[in-house]
Order: sequence, then structure tokens, then C-alpha cells
Amino acid sequence: MPKEKGERISEKMIKSDLNLAVVMKSQKFQQNNLTLKNPLITASGTCGNGKELADFFDINQLGAFTTKGITVEAQSGNKTPRIAETASGIINSIGLENPGVDSFISDVLPETKKYTLPILANISGYSKEDFVTLAEKLKTREELAGVEINLSCPNIKGGGMTFGTDPEKVFEITKKVREIYSGYIIVKLTPNITDITETALAAEEAGADAVAMINTLSAMKIDIDQQKPLLANTSGGLSGPAVRPVAVKMVYQTYKKLNIPILGLGGVRSGSDVIEFMLAGATAVGIGTVNMIDPTAGPRIIKEITEYMLKHQIKDLNSIIGKAH
Amino acid sequence: MFKIIANREVGPKIFQLVLNYDQLPQQPKPGHFFNIKVSQNGSDDPLLRRPFSIFDFDAAEKTVEFIYRVVGKGTKILSRLENGTELDVLGPLGNPFSLNKNKGKTHLIGGGMGIAPLYYLAKKLKSSNQIIYLGAANKAELEFFEEKFKGLGVECHLAAMEEKLEIKGSALVLWLNYLQKNTPDYVYTCGPEKMLAAVEKEALKNNIGGELSVEKRMGCGIGVCLSCSCETREEGQKNKRACVEGPVFGLGEVILSA
Repeated sequence: MPKEKGERISEKMIKSDLNLAVVMKSQKFQQNNLTLKNPLITASGTCGNGKELADFFDINQLGAFTTKGITVEAQSGNKTPRIAETASGIINSIGLENPGVDSFISDVLPETKKYTLPILANISGYSKEDFVTLAEKLKTREELAGVEINLSCPNIKGGGMTFGTDPEKVFEITKKVREIYSGYIIVKLTPNITDITETALAAEEAGADAVAMINTLSAMKIDIDQQKPLLANTSGGLSGPAVRPVAVKMVYQTYKKLNIPILGLGGVRSGSDVIEFMLAGATAVGIGTVNMIDPTAGPRIIKEITEYMLKHQIKDLNSIIGKAH
Repeated sequence: MFKIIANREVGPKIFQLVLNYDQLPQQPKPGHFFNIKVSQNGSDDPLLRRPFSIFDFDAAEKTVEFIYRVVGKGTKILSRLENGTELDVLGPLGNPFSLNKNKGKTHLIGGGMGIAPLYYLAKKLKSSNQIIYLGAANKAELEFFEEKFKGLGVECHLAAMEEKLEIKGSALVLWLNYLQKNTPDYVYTCGPEKMLAAVEKEALKNNIGGELSVEKRMGCGIGVCLSCSCETREEGQKNKRACVEGPVFGLGEVILSA
């Protein structure tokens, strides 16, 4: 229904008409466009593989679900302590503990069939060949809507973040995966870099459908009684509300230069935070650390987004993407 | 919704927290824990919840009870909360102690704040066939526990590191003193990891079965973040989460740092 400028939409009309759905467009294949019923995507490694959160609410209410990062071989992860608390944040160094891709395919993926929302697999590697292997093994998996290439894990030696800080490596790995994998590809970027737009553009150029930003910020905490680093792995990655302003700025800065959609994430814990990321230029928004504290954050945040839309007379959430520019 | 009905100091920096609840997803068992958000009024700091093992439970009164020591920012905030404060609490969580099998002669060994989860266990075991061994830094830290355990009418031995009670030393040493003349069929233990490792070693050597409750730095308490992973002896270096597969494990199930 056309709306005259200045006309207030009645609340009743909005409730029946509110559109929270967003479309994560695909760069090359229109049939790959990822339509999400709302912009919320669980951040990898903060939601297990679905079951843990499903004990608390119906996860099909979310936009999409990202599984815990997987590697070619099983990883037992770093020594403990793996987590430290800081002001409004946490530093983790889990070290990609996971059962390996074969076990992921045989045990985890079949379990995801019971969900109706799009499932994304987060993949990590220690070499370019690892990403090739992962793309090969996952390319025919119909349970998946796409993969998220993790080029930004600060907690593994080699691979991870060392790839993500080099635009050439980002290009090379993304291109390789693109050649093999025809589903939706998101490249997850590290903020531990001078200019994140360079790696974002490299991912776009190599054929990524979207970029996710930001992974955690490299950080550490020292136990002043023990007079030693608190984390067994010395340092880790900072997440939580403390990092949100950094992430919002990076999304804002990248939106101007990039043509593909941005999945914005970093410290989101409320509907207002989701709106902030969208205004900065994110099409979809990740929820991570908040799930660890409040397992039912997803449905609460969706409700808060709806309240914002009502308050600001926004019928279609897509209309606010990048609006702060 | 949970509401504080008591939050009082019962020993040096040791607090008893009693919460009244509306409803619980399941009846708590000994060894279960609850994850309590201590930051108030939407504050992000501290961000994470604090896990506490259940000390006591009363279905008729609709109360759950915890004993905690003030050690950092989170417990300091918690200790200042007044009666009537509503708390955001998740639980019961985790894998509890097993109670169903007839375990014969049973010993419960608790060190420091590791004593707390053993009280509700001792109460549920209801058996006159159990002996309690408790250790802490000093007498003042043990007084509250001593009174509670003795109230159950069970045999209870006490040790302190800083002063001589039954002995001057740890709960472990106290228990070892009794082990040869009074060997149990089953042990339950909770306390510092080094103590758990020593109890486990001694028990396994003597073919005694048992369970232990580990204390690990947790992130979420619901199994998503893998912060509290414990290494196991299983093939393929499989880990177990203290928050889901634990905090109660069978003796030998996870690798403890001795």
C-alpha cells in the first residue's frame, strides 16, 4: 500500500504487514540468494550445532544458523583456561575444538535436517589445501545453504588469522572455494588489520557472496596474582559488547566500498544493536556472545526489532540498511 | 523468576544464598548447578553468569540454596544483593551425582568450597553407611558446614590446614588416614583439582568406584562455547564439557591436573 509522506501507519496495519525478511544477495547465482525471515544469524562457536539452543527455544525463529567451526581433521582445542572475562567482554581461546569434517558430515549435518532455517557451515583451515578439501567434501551437502570461510580465527597457529590479514591470501582461498563450492559463500574477516576494506574487497573480487565482520579482536589478560597470562594459550579473541563500536565502524567503512552484502557482528545483545549494525550497512546481523549468557536472546531481539519498527514506522527492514550514511 | 530470601555471611567471606523460585524445568539433583547472572539492571559487567552447585533444595518451600565464597567481582556483587532482589537464573544444569545404585559403604570427601555440593548429596543418600571427610583452611570456614552435616546425623571428620582439628592438614590426608582401616565401596568427592586427582588415584588403586565434581572456568554453562572442555583418555582425544557431560564425572573419566 503506497504511503503518503508524513502519514502515520496505523499500528494494526504494521503488525500484519511488518517485513523483517532480508535478502543476502548472491554475487553470481541469483538462485543462491539467501532469504532470511529476519536478519539474525547465530555466530559460529557460540551456539553449538543447534541442539543446545533448541533446548531453550525453537531456533527456526532465527534468520539462519552457523555451525561450530570445523577443520579437516578433528581438533582437541587449546589447553584450559580458555576463557577470561574483561569489562563488558570475554576473551576466548578455544582453539577450534571440533570433531573434523567427516564426523561433521556423518553426525552433525543429519541432525540439522529437522530445522527449517538455512544452515551455514563455518570452515577453517591451516592451509589452502584444507579449504579445498572442506569445499570438496561439503559441496554436495544439501543440508547446507552455504559456508562461512573463517579466515580470521586468532586462536590457531598458522592458517586462520594469518590468512585473513593478507588480501592476496583472502583472494586466493576464496577463489579456490568459489571454484568448487556453488552454494552461498560468506568470508569471515578479522579486525586485526589496518584496513579491513582491503580484505573485504579481495573477498568480493574472488567471488564471495558476502563478508562477515568482525571476528574477535586479538587480546589478552594477565592474572596479577599468578603474574602470568590467564589463558593457557597466552592470548585470545575479545568479543561481547566491548567490541561493538569497533565492529559498527568497520561495517560502516566497508559498506561504502563494497557491493556484496555484509553480515555484521560483534557484541550484539539487543534489538537496538541489530538496528545500529543495519544502519551502518549490514544486511544481516550475527548474535554470538549474547547466546552464552542469555540462550533465549534470539527471540527477545526479534521482538525488540519489531518494537523499533513500530516506533519508527518502518514497514520494511531492508529500508534501513546503510541508512546512516 | 528467582527471588533472594536470604544472602548472609556464614563464615569468613562465605555466604549462604537462598532463592525462592516460581517453577523449575526439572527437580534439581545433587551435583546439578545453576548459572546466576549477578550483574543487575541490564549491566554488561560482569558479562558472564556465575555457576554454583546446589547446596540444598526444598520442593515444599520452593527454595534452592547455594554456598559461595567471595573471590572476585561477580561474587562480590552477589554478596551485596539484598533480600527481595530478583535474579536471572538458569538451571538446574549439568550432569548430577548418581544416586540410584546401591553403593555400599560410601565416603564423601570435600575440600574448601567443594564441600558445598556434598551436603545435598549426603542428605539424599540418607544412608547411615556414609562417612564425611571435610577440609578447609581453618575452623571458621568449617563451622557452618560442620553444623549442617552433623544435623544429618552422619559421621563427620574435619581437618584444617592452618590449625589442628582432627588433624592439621587437608581433607585428603584426613581421608587417607582412615582409608586402610575403613575402606569404602564408593567415594564422592569435590574440591581442588589436585585433591580430586589424588582421591581418584588412591580409589582406583584400591578398586573403589566413585564420582567427582570438577570446577572449571565456564563460559556459557549450556554446552555451546567449549570453554570448560576436559580432556579424556578416550581414543581420538575426545573432550567432555564440564557444563554438560559434567561437572560430575566418574573416576578416571577425565584427565585431572595432579
